Amino acid sequence: MSIFWLTVYVLIWPVIVGGTLVVIVRAFWKEWRQARSEGRGMI
Amino acid sequence: MSLFISKKKENADGYMTAGNKIGFGVSAASMTATWIWASSMYASATSGYTYGISGPIHYGLWGALMILFIYPFGRRIRAVAPKAHTLAEVMYVRHGRSSQLMLAGSNVLGSVISLTSNFIAGGALIALLSPFSFTQGILAVAAGILLYTLWSGFRASVLTDFAQVVAMLGAVVIIIPVVFFAAGGPGLFETGAVNLTPQQGNFFSSDAFMNQGAPYIAAVLAYAIGNQTIAQRLFAVREDLIKPTFITATVGYGATVIGFGMLGVIALYAGITPLDGDVNNLIPQMAVTYLGPVLLCVFFIMILGSLSSTADSDLAALSSIAMTDFYGHAKRKNNPNPRTMLLVGRVTMILATATALFFASGQMNILELLVFVGALWGALVFPVIASFYWNKVTNMAFTLGTVLALVAFLPVRFEWISMDGAVGYVVDVLGIVGVGVVIGLMCFGFFGLKTARIAGVLAMVVVAPLAWGALHDYAVLSGSLVAYSVSTIICYGLSVRSKREFDFATIKERIGDFDAADPEPLDLVPATRQQD
Repeated sequence: MSIFWLTVYVLIWPVIVGGTLVVIVRAFWKEWRQARSEGRGMI
Repeated sequence: MSLFISKKKENADGYMTAGNKIGFGVSAASMTATWIWASSMYASATSGYTYGISGPIHYGLWGALMILFIYPFGRRIRAVAPKAHTLAEVMYVRHGRSSQLMLAGSNVLGSVISLTSNFIAGGALIALLSPFSFTQGILAVAAGILLYTLWSGFRASVLTDFAQVVAMLGAVVIIIPVVFFAAGGPGLFETGAVNLTPQQGNFFSSDAFMNQGAPYIAAVLAYAIGNQTIAQRLFAVREDLIKPTFITATVGYGATVIGFGMLGVIALYAGITPLDGDVNNLIPQMAVTYLGPVLLCVFFIMILGSLSSTADSDLAALSSIAMTDFYGHAKRKNNPNPRTMLLVGRVTMILATATALFFASGQMNILELLVFVGALWGALVFPVIASFYWNKVTNMAFTLGTVLALVAFLPVRFEWISMDGAVGYVVDVLGIVGVGVVIGLMCFGFFGLKTARIAGVLAMVVVAPLAWGALHDYAVLSGSLVAYSVSTIICYGLSVRSKREFDFATIKERIGDFDAADPEPLDLVPATRQQD
């Protein structure tokens, strides 16, 4: 593997993790607001 | 956070499954956090350091795909038993007490080992990065986790999982690039290439596949199916959200663990030698070498988050097993008292923590522990899955298949007998059948029985020439495969001629809530205000 692709190989994972984190946090925030507006608990 | 959701009078069902209606955000976070334990981080980096650039893939990718592969089974389990608390509870209704005890017992063992492993990781980290000793470290970690989980059980576990996953994933986003560039950036691949063997520098390394990837493919399927921490989340999430939850957890787990494994690869290129020759020291060592004080704190929180999220899940799983499969079962004819159940759950958490603390002083190799637990559950995979789809599987087939698989697994895995001559060839044949079973089961969940059979047979045909005469040399891999094949052969053989036809509707009829309907809504207000 060339140096360029090795670098991509190492750094791609934090990017994917960041994307997943955004999905989870947005969903959590949406559920929390919805539960709050309905006067019930999330859990 | 635990105080925020706690109630003066907790509900036994809420304590175990949070009412079966958790949303996507919390469940995806919880599934991801639970699947990533401290061992995942350490073992992935170890794999990168030992097997080179493909090492983290052979640890993290297969572990991630297993979450994906079990979600179709999860949907079936949930459809058959929507109000269940433990998988063992379902097995009791499906088969009887021996099946329930095997699943419950294996989970008690697995969760105590997992707790021990996480306490060891926490204690080692505290000893390395602070003035406190290992013993003080494990005591602090254990007490902290027990305190926030004890009162609200699973509800506290899943809510704190969200905070822990934010800390873990957020830290991974920052730490990996920082360490990479601090260690030399892209130039490291040029200057450090001499530190790698040809196998370590090969992305398609056969060493990495045979010693790390293949045993792990076999082990983690078992780990996912048998593990109560996963089953508990399966029973807790809203039924229509099972698929997105599992897919998100697959991506989150895979990227986090593989990404963390890159620290092992960087260490290998940089020519770093693990402190005291112990590869478990590699991760903290990399952190101390390349991170400043602030990021070192971020790293510390990340590892604590990973081990806490799994440890609190183990405590919640153990308490659910004690509440449902031991106390609930013993009192099934006299209606179990939900308040006594809660007491049983809390006492179980305290006892489990004490037991894990006792064993933590052993400091066993984390990677070997993981493979051992996964392989132990391998014996249960086919009988458990078949029991949810095939109405002919009997209690005798389930029990005998699992026990004999374990009997066959142990001498192969731990090399108690010589593999010379006929014994080696028998192990090879069973291993080849095991490959067919694993591939067949993976395909069955998504594509049904016909495709599974074709894929299983094809896998055996492709693998046979490579495995014949050679597979028995890989004890970890062949041990797991033998467990799969023996349990499948015995379970199938004893069930296929059975005249009994189980009605799956029975499970839904016999498994329900322990508490009466809870009229009190759970508000997102502090506990003190709720009590007012």
